[in-house]
Amino acid sequence: MAKRKGIDRREFVTTTTGAAAAVALGPTIRIKRRQKTLKILQWSHFVPSYDGWFDKYAKDWGTAKGVEVTVDHIALADLGTRANAEVAAQQGHDLFQFLSPPGAFEPQVLDMADVVQEAEHQNGPILDLCKRSTYNPVTRKWFGFSDNYVPDPGDYLKSLWTEIGMPDGPVTWEDLVKAAPLIKSKHPEIQIPIGIGMSQELDSNMAARAMLWSFDGSVQDQNENVVLKSDHALEALEFGVRLFKAGMNPSVMSWNAASNNQALNARQTGYILNSISAYRTAQDNKLPVADDIFFVPALKGPRGTRWASEHVMGIYVIWKFAQSPDVAKQFLLDLIGRYRDAVLGSKLYNFPSFPGSVADPGVAVGQKPASGNKWLEQVTANDPFGSNPPAKLKPISTALQWATNIGHPGPANPAESEVFDTFVLPTMFANAATGRMSAKQALDEAHQQVKKIFEKWRSKGLVAGGSGDRA
Amino acid sequence: MTPRRTLADREEVLGGVMLAPALAYVILLVGVPFVLAIVLSFSDATAGSLRFGWAGLRNYAAILADPIFLRALRNTAVVTIGSQVLVVVLATAAAQVFRTTFRGKRFARFVLLLPWAVPVSLAAIAWTWIFDSTFSVINWTLKAAGLLHGWLYWLGEPGLALLAIIIVQAWRIFPFATVIVLAGLSSIPQEIVEAAIVDGAGFWRRLFQVELPLLLPVVTVAVLFGVVYTATDLGVVYILTGGGPANTTHVLPTLAFQRGILGADLGQGAAIAVFLLPFLIVVAIAMLRLARRAEVGAR
Repeated sequence: MAKRKGIDRREFVTTTTGAAAAVALGPTIRIKRRQKTLKILQWSHFVPSYDGWFDKYAKDWGTAKGVEVTVDHIALADLGTRANAEVAAQQGHDLFQFLSPPGAFEPQVLDMADVVQEAEHQNGPILDLCKRSTYNPVTRKWFGFSDNYVPDPGDYLKSLWTEIGMPDGPVTWEDLVKAAPLIKSKHPEIQIPIGIGMSQELDSNMAARAMLWSFDGSVQDQNENVVLKSDHALEALEFGVRLFKAGMNPSVMSWNAASNNQALNARQTGYILNSISAYRTAQDNKLPVADDIFFVPALKGPRGTRWASEHVMGIYVIWKFAQSPDVAKQFLLDLIGRYRDAVLGSKLYNFPSFPGSVADPGVAVGQKPASGNKWLEQVTANDPFGSNPPAKLKPISTALQWATNIGHPGPANPAESEVFDTFVLPTMFANAATGRMSAKQALDEAHQQVKKIFEKWRSKGLVAGGSGDRA
Repeated sequence: MTPRRTLADREEVLGGVMLAPALAYVILLVGVPFVLAIVLSFSDATAGSLRFGWAGLRNYAAILADPIFLRALRNTAVVTIGSQVLVVVLATAAAQVFRTTFRGKRFARFVLLLPWAVPVSLAAIAWTWIFDSTFSVINWTLKAAGLLHGWLYWLGEPGLALLAIIIVQAWRIFPFATVIVLAGLSSIPQEIVEAAIVDGAGFWRRLFQVELPLLLPVVTVAVLFGVVYTATDLGVVYILTGGGPANTTHVLPTLAFQRGILGADLGQGAAIAVFLLPFLIVVAIAMLRLARRAEVGAR
């Protein structure tokens, strides 16, 4: 019988050494690129049709310009982690889109002043809200370029609010406290009459700020001094406790960014603070609840102040280590030039940071912002995406009267970003609402946390203020 | 003519060469990040910058004065101990079942191993729905059966949220522990068991006075693995609760992630992560000593 031919030790060592060398050296072999490339990373949009529109636009743009464009989408919650990884590796995408001001990354990004200037030259001025989210007055650097912001109105179920005698929904924060027991008594099956999150996630972060600002409190003042500890903030916090007791339950402490959408669409809550994505999801899935969802502007506080943060703000950065920064800048300018299509691609979710970018064709630059704003009013008053009634989205066309930036009344900065990303404010509300701490204790604790964060970033020269910090 | 001696013939060198890839792997992917984490913990590094300065013990002082960190430290111990107690009980019981012969045993064994094979993140997402405070299938089932009159806000109340985390961690680790215990059971000399039976020992007496003492070294190894997997796990807590409600369910890895990566304070995040080291070293030494003593005792 012939002996089966195996592999001897010599052959094994030779083969594996060769294979290992090939694996190790393979990535070092440079293949000359035939054409320019542009790599873009952004979120998987809450309105999926936008991703379809954007990816096709980017591909067509690349074909027209002779640029190989790659678009990667990741979940909203992974953006920060991914950005850190790219900075640590000093490689990644040319264009990276954040959804809140990326102040902490300022040292690693290019100054976008030239892009903003050119976009303003072509379309008219950028919104002040967007400027305060992307421009650091301390370093005088545009650390990002905003293409859009997303309004954050109140979403309510009209049938419920009609039953309790408020067919147009709430106008003030106090209305929520009044409405909650009425909704509960008429509909005991509804678990959370008022669905304002107090959890460690995006929507709760926005809701906490809306409540704080509408009660005339804030984290910082215009000059970036920490002023969280105030009578107004305490008033907001005490209101939060009342609201929780009147209309919520501990489930709001565990919500993620999708939970309020799910609760509204399952008719388990009568009011949420959110963009129109919950509504668009209901429409896309042909849920009967879609026709019952209506919108109200930001709610008024006890002295009539009315603020809400933008729900998200699209902010592109170009890393200092980007391979194709000039191509990236050109892409952004051309994208702004097509922003009416982008707004429609997002089904009116994205609102333009340059209102002039959605103006009627052929309008002179000076008239573009007015023309763009008029178009936004028209399109929200007659939703082309099947709203019933068609004027349902009209309240969000007033967003510029009540939407403001993270950091209000001051600018966005790395300290405000860290306060935002470590969920200091929703945790403060949760601590007070659940009785874990008194409202005063919760406020004191949050204030001290915020002060430490601001001091750290001031020592790095990225944040102003300090002399006016409250003790 | 004798053939030329090549690397393949020089065993003393070949051994080192063949060990080198594994060593390089450990040094590059474990050693270097570990040293980097220690360096960062003494720095004022932030996520958006590559430069950092010396901060001395400032990060450690800051976290030791932080009630959220102290709670995370306590939670890490509670989750680890709680889940491992559950794992030992469940794994021992399951191993007893699987050593017998029954119809469908192979399928049952496949089902048992599933939690071990499923990616942690995927499983945690499924558990998030199971424990969802509004839509929890557990609550709706208990309600339908008439066993629940109020409502359990699984992830919305600190105590219940911590319990949910312990349950998921135990569910994840227990298949692995079962396999180890099963292997240990099969290594117990049959004559010892038979002698116990002849002496009139029943099932419980055999289990507690014969088999479990002999299994102690093996169970210790299973628990050691479980402790390391649980104490260092980020995914389950991050997906299930994100450290909430109100920062009450953070464990050290999630707090390190929140401060270091999401909050951009790399220095403090690294300091929190480094705190796992003494905890795990103490646990590992204690358990290995226990296992060794049990082995010596058994002889």
